Amino acid sequence: MRMKYETPVIQKCQTGLMNKFGSCPHYSRKIRTGIDDVSIDNLVEKYGSPLFVFSEKTLRERFREIHRAFSTRYPNVTFAWSYKTNYLPAICAVFHQEGAIAEVVSEMEYDKARKLGVPGDKIIFNGPYKSLHALEKAVSEGAMVHIDHLDEIYDLEKVADKLGRKIKVALRLNMDTGIRPQWSRFGFNVDSGQAMMAARRIHHGGKLIINGLHCHIGTFILEPDAYGVQVEKMLKLAYQIEDQFKFGIEYIDIGGGFPSKSKLKGTYLSPDLSVPAIDDYAEKITSAFYKNLRPGDFPRLILESGRVMVDEAGYLITTIHSSKRMPDGRKAYVVDAGVNILFTSFWYKFKLEIDREVQGVNEPSIVYGPLCMNIDVIDEGCLLPPLNRGTRLIVSPVGAYNVTQWLQFISYRPNVVLTGENGKVDVIREAEDLLDIERRERLPEHLLLSSKSS
Amino acid sequence: MREIIVGVSGINAVDNPGPGIGVARALLDDKDLNVKIVGLAYDGMEPGIYLDWLIDRSYIMPYPSGGYDAFIKRLEYIKASFGLDFIIPNLDSELPLYAKYSEKIEKLGIGVFVPTLKQFHLRAKNRLAEVAEKIGIKIPQTEVVTSHDELVEAVEKIGLPVMVKGALYKAYRAHTTQQAIEYYNKIVAEWGYPIVVQQVVSGEEMNVVGVGDGEGNSLGMLGIRKLWITSLGKIWTGVSIRNQKMLNAASSFIHTYNWKGAFELECISNNGDVYLIEINPRFPAWSYFAAGVGLNLPSNMLRKAFGLPISQNMDYKVGKLYVRYTYEVITDLQPFQEIMTKGEW
Amino acid sequence: MNRSQQLAISENGFIFDPTTGESFTTNQTGLAILNRLKKNESSMEIALKMREEFEVSLEELERDVADFIDHLRTYGLM
Ligand SMILES: Cc1ncc(COP(=O)(O)O)c(C=O)c1O
Repeated sequence: MRMKYETPVIQKCQTGLMNKFGSCPHYSRKIRTGIDDVSIDNLVEKYGSPLFVFSEKTLRERFREIHRAFSTRYPNVTFAWSYKTNYLPAICAVFHQEGAIAEVVSEMEYDKARKLGVPGDKIIFNGPYKSLHALEKAVSEGAMVHIDHLDEIYDLEKVADKLGRKIKVALRLNMDTGIRPQWSRFGFNVDSGQAMMAARRIHHGGKLIINGLHCHIGTFILEPDAYGVQVEKMLKLAYQIEDQFKFGIEYIDIGGGFPSKSKLKGTYLSPDLSVPAIDDYAEKITSAFYKNLRPGDFPRLILESGRVMVDEAGYLITTIHSSKRMPDGRKAYVVDAGVNILFTSFWYKFKLEIDREVQGVNEPSIVYGPLCMNIDVIDEGCLLPPLNRGTRLIVSPVGAYNVTQWLQFISYRPNVVLTGENGKVDVIREAEDLLDIERRERLPEHLLLSSKSS
Repeated sequence: MREIIVGVSGINAVDNPGPGIGVARALLDDKDLNVKIVGLAYDGMEPGIYLDWLIDRSYIMPYPSGGYDAFIKRLEYIKASFGLDFIIPNLDSELPLYAKYSEKIEKLGIGVFVPTLKQFHLRAKNRLAEVAEKIGIKIPQTEVVTSHDELVEAVEKIGLPVMVKGALYKAYRAHTTQQAIEYYNKIVAEWGYPIVVQQVVSGEEMNVVGVGDGEGNSLGMLGIRKLWITSLGKIWTGVSIRNQKMLNAASSFIHTYNWKGAFELECISNNGDVYLIEINPRFPAWSYFAAGVGLNLPSNMLRKAFGLPISQNMDYKVGKLYVRYTYEVITDLQPFQEIMTKGEW
Repeated sequence: MNRSQQLAISENGFIFDPTTGESFTTNQTGLAILNRLKKNESSMEIALKMREEFEVSLEELERDVADFIDHLRTYGLM
């Protein structure tokens, strides 16, 4: 009878590192054999590795949970899907099916939303750079334009002249809500009176009608109270504008910023302890509404939540290509997914799950990507059991910002699939090939290699 | 009296001592209680593991940062294999976990007596001003900053030297603006925003340890004046004092926030004024002093939690001396070997 | 130099180096390798013999023994 095998491991007892639990097999070791009802093996066999996988079930559940938290507390709530967080058509379509309108910050995003079939009047157009051309298109299609600066007021007045009608617009605001860093570069400052000045200027121009206010105080906001301060300041300003200039403020857009359950680098606590529940945010926000609204007034509350909706629905499956022993004794793994497709690795310490049961104690390990670049590190210090080549690591949460901020660099970007009900899997973005990379590239005639030799 | 098995963490009685050993001693001092101590350690070298006359059995714990599941499994294991009726967590890093999951832990039949998460958050240094105002105590001039510009402004306003502090961890004394910027960068890189810039108040360092019953009442408190501190800033010799301004603030702290569990207020007294410097939501490392002068705070906490009678005497003698000293234990490699390979001893 | 000769190795995987005072922990397979290194067996011999004792392929074992010895080297034990 031969004995069960376990990879040999040795660890030095070092002060400060003598926690047996670090190496205990069941501590901080997580196994994931499938996503929804689809096994990791099947996914990789069919679609390759690395592979981004989105769970339609999780997307819809998250949306409904967050929507419910607000709609059960306030009668007039709309969610706008923040395209920049993830603008794969399939992902946007899921949220639109659930009832979200679109929130875009560039002409390209605007065109994407239109192409998906979102009508102009269900698109919020944010951002500090909107070309005159983009503004004209958006306004003529009825989009909700959120003005970022004074120059945009002039531009919009030009558009109004050209179209020969008044245009409804919203003001983007910034303010001190106690959150640092303060996002004061976007919109008009409330605390200094700049926002009121902008409203006065618009009133004076007579070509634009202010019907909404918008403010996005930042991202990964761990303090629900900040939103309470934000709502109070926005509603006070709304009534000031209504009373002084006789505009009717129809909606208050409080932006996004709710954190997902991911661990920021440099934080000690697990997100489970540091990230407040969505109900805490909803409670603060809606009670600030009730406290500051005039009787009978229920302006539409718009939220542009991005990462909290999508982050946990996204996984990246990656395969261990090789391992080595570092000079300091740590184990290092090279996997087939790098930071070029995992942009958020600069801020997040991801959850790493293993696709199978593995024998043996945990060792201090490093996970490197495949790029020939020193910065290509997925995890610079984690505890992993000894892993063989071909073992798969499932990295999460990766649903937010990665498939929009990823870089095409020295390799092809991989397949992205969506797992649906009953084990159905759809490719929602095909892996790239050389044609994709070179389609827009041109080689002048005189540089053709064959012409040189002739 | 039935036996009560109490888990105590922070048994790292080293040059920056954890509070656990003092808490264990205090519990054992109460001869009317029948207490056994379980040491909850995070490293195989925590001295408490080897002090067998205080601690009956020690277990290595998974780090709180590893999350709830592993932690709770370990507590269940200890309960099943040795017994565990109550836990006194003594480390800042553990408190959020115990605070958030106190009900679930109690469902396992393991009592805790800790602040709520909301109370726990009061200790953030950017909230010090708010707390100080409510409990009627001064604080050094303090500015909360999040950019270099604001930092430089704050330094100019307050005047050098200044303390540069993270909201939760780290504090440095800066003598030049350049130094302040360096410390600012250092703390931001490790712990994030915001940063607190504080006036350096010189004076006598005095602290108060207390326990609140969660209903606004005190289970006892003791004031200490530091006479000698180590190079790490840890108290080595002290004397019991009764500074009414400080004690009133502590009472008010318990009362205002319905504080539950142990706490320490770190203060500085200057020309009759008392300034609040820091709030610690747990027993301090010197808390055995209280038991030593007849005010057994850990035992009062345990008694309150188990509905046992508590001594009504909340008084203590001033002018008692607190002296730390070093001591050595000689033992075999075996306990070390066991704790390293099996995680318990 | 092969310092493994002088190590005090206990059955539960605790290793003590009496000349330096360092201590280490290892698992059962690690113990098996160390005990064979003590007897001056080569890494190939170790892999072949352990192949008979454990359920594992020779290829995996060869890699693991090499990596384990690498690791001993980083600790200065080989
Ligand atoms: C205007 C606006 N709305 C919404 C979002 C989405 O933010 P989050 O993903 O933090 O919810 C952003 C992100 O930067 C934004 O700039």
